[in-house]
Amino acid sequence: MRVVHYLNQFFGGIGGEEQAGIPPEIRPGAVGPGRLLEQVLGDGSHVVTTIICGDNYAAENVQEVTAMVTQQVKEAQAELLVAGPCFQAGRYGTAAGAVCAAVQEDLSIPVITAMAGENPGVDLYRESIYIVDSGDDVSRMRDVLADMARLANKLAGQGVIGRPADEGYFSQGKLRSEFVENTAARRLTGMLLSKMRGEAFEAEVPIKSIEPVPAPPPVPDMSRATVAIVTDGGLVPKGNPDQIPRAFAQVWGAYSIEGMDSLQAGEYEVAHGGYDNRPVEQDPHRLVPVDVLRQMERDGLVGKLHPEFLSTTGNSNPLENSRRMGREMAARLIEAGVDSVILTST
Amino acid sequence: MTLTLANHPITEFFAGPKTLLDGSRLQVDLEELRRYLLEDQRLESVDLEIVRPGDPCRVGYVFDIVEPRAKETGAGPDFPGILSPIAAAGQGTTHVLRGTAVAVVDGGQPGGERGYTSRRGGVAKILEMSGPPSQASSFGDLRHLVVVPHPHPEVARHSVLNALRLASVKASVYLARTAQGKTPDSTQVFDLDGSDYDGRKGLPRVAYIGQVHGHQHGTEVDEHILYGGNARGMLPVPLHPNEWLDGAVVVSYSWGARGLDTYFHQNHPIILDLYRLHDSKEITFAGVVATTSSGQLDELNRNCMVAAQIVKHTFKADGVIITKYAGGAPHSDMFETARLCEDLGIKTAIMVSDTAPDRRAESAALMNIPGVDAVVNVSEAADISWPAPAVETVIAGNPEVETLLADLTELPGVSVCGVTNNQGASRLQSIIY
Repeated sequence: MRVVHYLNQFFGGIGGEEQAGIPPEIRPGAVGPGRLLEQVLGDGSHVVTTIICGDNYAAENVQEVTAMVTQQVKEAQAELLVAGPCFQAGRYGTAAGAVCAAVQEDLSIPVITAMAGENPGVDLYRESIYIVDSGDDVSRMRDVLADMARLANKLAGQGVIGRPADEGYFSQGKLRSEFVENTAARRLTGMLLSKMRGEAFEAEVPIKSIEPVPAPPPVPDMSRATVAIVTDGGLVPKGNPDQIPRAFAQVWGAYSIEGMDSLQAGEYEVAHGGYDNRPVEQDPHRLVPVDVLRQMERDGLVGKLHPEFLSTTGNSNPLENSRRMGREMAARLIEAGVDSVILTST
Repeated sequence: MTLTLANHPITEFFAGPKTLLDGSRLQVDLEELRRYLLEDQRLESVDLEIVRPGDPCRVGYVFDIVEPRAKETGAGPDFPGILSPIAAAGQGTTHVLRGTAVAVVDGGQPGGERGYTSRRGGVAKILEMSGPPSQASSFGDLRHLVVVPHPHPEVARHSVLNALRLASVKASVYLARTAQGKTPDSTQVFDLDGSDYDGRKGLPRVAYIGQVHGHQHGTEVDEHILYGGNARGMLPVPLHPNEWLDGAVVVSYSWGARGLDTYFHQNHPIILDLYRLHDSKEITFAGVVATTSSGQLDELNRNCMVAAQIVKHTFKADGVIITKYAGGAPHSDMFETARLCEDLGIKTAIMVSDTAPDRRAESAALMNIPGVDAVVNVSEAADISWPAPAVETVIAGNPEVETLLADLTELPGVSVCGVTNNQGASRLQSIIY
């Protein structure tokens, strides 16, 4: 296998922090840890090009460096890009992640790097590339390179990639359904007994990944505020003009209620497969309370009801997608001068 | 309360001139059974067929799968509240025809999406008898009596569903009555009496809370769920686990056969595993609570509170396993119940079924509640599918579905009966890579 190896100025043997500003240098063959890398990759693999770049230079010129590395990999006709290992070096890890991700994206060849868990490069790139857990002990260089080599050889088509803990890489956060030895019942009782005995157990979902959303400050004066209604309950005009699906919705709609005192049953339908839609279809105000808000507007309790309501289907929606739609909705409402939102769900 | 399951393993299941059990050979007079099922005047006709493991056969869409069981004469009610007058289930001898099942097919309302319109949400489920899908299914190695009731066209849909339910339990009991008076191959005794006495001091007490319906979809007025009741307005109810195993609970219509099957109420994997741990004196099995997930917030708060209180003060449990009904919304009730239990000092383990369509672990995480950290993730099989095995026979509820099933090239895991399951039976797991 033809390999290109990316190193920073320190591991490339140029110097310490005082050399962190150097632009990329290209060396034929292996340098420093690259020689060990060749050994652990096994016969038939050799480092054809080593690229050494200062940490600060890479941090300040990410695009230039990634483009340059991509070009070098291409010219070298490399079949593998290895970056690092970077251990705890944050700028090094970030640069290594960036060049690996770019080369994988542009050239579709295997890429691999290694870092310690606290290296910021891990969270930035773990979902798109394989990052071996190097720990923070630089004296483990040979072991880390061996882990990288084993995984790299598998990536190059010589074996199936196992689970993160077994292979020593950081989880990419991807779900794969598999048939396992124990039924869910056995896993439940086993997990409960471990928990009751104070023994270690591992949840099968990353429960800590949802961050709490802090409550925003109260609206100072509702009688002056423009209020919009946003729902994820899927109310749409009859015919569902935006074709919002009943689950996994990627789109949302904005529907005019200008000049309307109420919503007429029969003129709306519900595009949501997760609940019994009939009560809302009988009376849409159960989901989108235009009638009450109009009254509050007349009574001066709220300043103004925004002339459209926003709607989508909050059913089995990936978080990333929900966040995107939320940002898009917020942008539209902010642009329209809306001060507050009543969010109704089901 | 002592329940004895008298197990009769069936190795041959075939049609013949008389319904009888001869050792492990079960012969059924299909004409007699047909006449019995057609006593329900809502039915115009009934198709009956026996299918076996490995048969190149596809069945759809499945309403429910039930294990043939019948009480020994005079030992108690069969499916009380549905087939028998209300009386306590869970005691005396119940005959079980192991290795067999009754699979009831729902013709739905012909037309609509996929040649079939179901009354509510859910996935149209297929029973596949050959190839990799059958090997991945809990039902692929059973001999099934497939019952396809054809209702009169004027019968209202809720009444059709009621007729399907009745046919399922009638056929189940009809078959298993052949074992009455016969010596079983083996017996299993389920008994929690004496739990508070000798040799159990200091053992952790463990309970189970299971949702038997999700009220995000309402129930029909004549729908049977718990002791024949439709579970509307139902508060959590403490049960003896034997009642659950012995016909007090059947699955509701919505999402029926999507990861909940009456077969696995009768063979409830969590209840059976808690019994195993009870019998080996690793725990004391403290009891079970049947509950529902809610359609409204007040109901959610009330039900979760009551369930947690039962487990704490009636069962005096130290630990509890909580499972949900099919679908996404029931997670809310399960997590809230778990939160309340943890607040009361009861350790919890729960089971989620992630529906993350982007297969990102982040999308599978539903809640982050301190203490509710023992979570099993049963995949909904969104990323599993098989090339459809070649079949010679398709058994369907109407001609449109028959054509559709015959023409399938791909079988998604979510569509195959017995792959996903919310009762603990599934070996599927969403692994995080």
